[in-house]
Amino acid sequence: MNLMTIQQYKNEIILFISILFALFGFIYKSSANSYVIENKAKIQQQISEINKISSLKDQWAGKNIANKVKVLKNVVASNKINSFNKKSKKLVAKYSNLTAAELNKLSNKLINIPVQIVKLNINQIARNQYTMEFTCKW
Amino acid sequence: MEPVTVKNSIEIILTPQFYTFIRETLDLKFSYQAKQIAESLFDDYINSSEKYQYHVYKCEDQWCYFAYNIEEIEIFLKSVGIEKHRVSKIYFAQQLSSELEQAIQLSKSSVLQTIDGTVTMLPSKFMNSDTQFNTLNLNSIKLSSGISMGASLNSFISLKETIVLTSLFSLLGVIFILEGSRLKSSISEDDEKLTALLDENTLYGSSIQRSSILGKYQPINDNERAKRQTLKEISKLLSSGSQLESLTINQNTIIANIKTSDRATSSQVTNRAKAKQFKSSANGEMVKVEKKI
Repeated sequence: MNLMTIQQYKNEIILFISILFALFGFIYKSSANSYVIENKAKIQQQISEINKISSLKDQWAGKNIANKVKVLKNVVASNKINSFNKKSKKLVAKYSNLTAAELNKLSNKLINIPVQIVKLNINQIARNQYTMEFTCKW
Repeated sequence: MEPVTVKNSIEIILTPQFYTFIRETLDLKFSYQAKQIAESLFDDYINSSEKYQYHVYKCEDQWCYFAYNIEEIEIFLKSVGIEKHRVSKIYFAQQLSSELEQAIQLSKSSVLQTIDGTVTMLPSKFMNSDTQFNTLNLNSIKLSSGISMGASLNSFISLKETIVLTSLFSLLGVIFILEGSRLKSSISEDDEKLTALLDENTLYGSSIQRSSILGKYQPINDNERAKRQTLKEISKLLSSGSQLESLTINQNTIIANIKTSDRATSSQVTNRAKAKQFKSSANGEMVKVEKKI
């Protein structure tokens, strides 16, 4: 293509370049749009999964749970605790002669600690006297 | 013509030897229509073996047509030392017809004069010896309808159209690119957040591992919340007339036996338990409520 031809079709060449530029812009925008549509939901789902896992793991397998369950030993008088065995990540406890108020307090404490209640038995042995035994793990 | 040195862009006025001029009365509205038929109008006047360009504009009630050979003009410009890129506009001497009513001297041998409305170049010897030549002051004349070198080359698209369309497409291109960048940046924030989370928790990088961990903790969360909610609901069934006799939580069942003071309270507790989706049964003053988790 000699200079004369370029000169002859200068307008068309300029216009063609600008059309190519617009086309490039359109392709870039379209690819960005597809990329965003494809990945945004995926990324957000991954973030939400990770956040959910972190929060669940912190809640049900947190490092402080072992300390928190120790509270259950101090809620009632020690003579009412028949056994309190904490081994690894498991606690088995037995209480007796609990008043209704103590039973309430103990139950509330237990359900407010993020442990898995594997077993719970509450029995009334006399008027306003209860026994309670539970097994929990974390 | 003597060679010249040109440093800045210039405009040139073509004398009649560089173009063929005709004037036509045509019932046309637009110049593009007039230009479409230009070639056929010059059939009898120009050499068809050469490539000509055409220019047309409306002059009073008629259309003024010009046929010119841009290559011939370029060769001439080159011969006098004018580079073609220095030429910003080309005009035709015909456009000065009113100014050339009185002849001007182009050189010792030629003069330019309007004869019967057409600018014509004449040999000086045809003029009377006492002819007074005019001086053409181009600064006082405003020329319009000039053509550019590019536009003169039979471009399919005029300069004006080129400018408008190029601006439009460039603007579109810029808008598309900006929009694309905006879209990409909208995801980059989430992407950075995900990268930071994965850096903190490298184990969660794989979706299989995430599903496995979720599969472990989600049921624990659901079951334990359900157990606690059920315990709260059972405690709400108790009142001054009803006491807890026993309560058992096994793997996925919660059973509570509630001792009531009379049958009316028993029925009341049963109804309230049913309303809370408990499976309940009354045996005298004893009410048994049960829920599967």
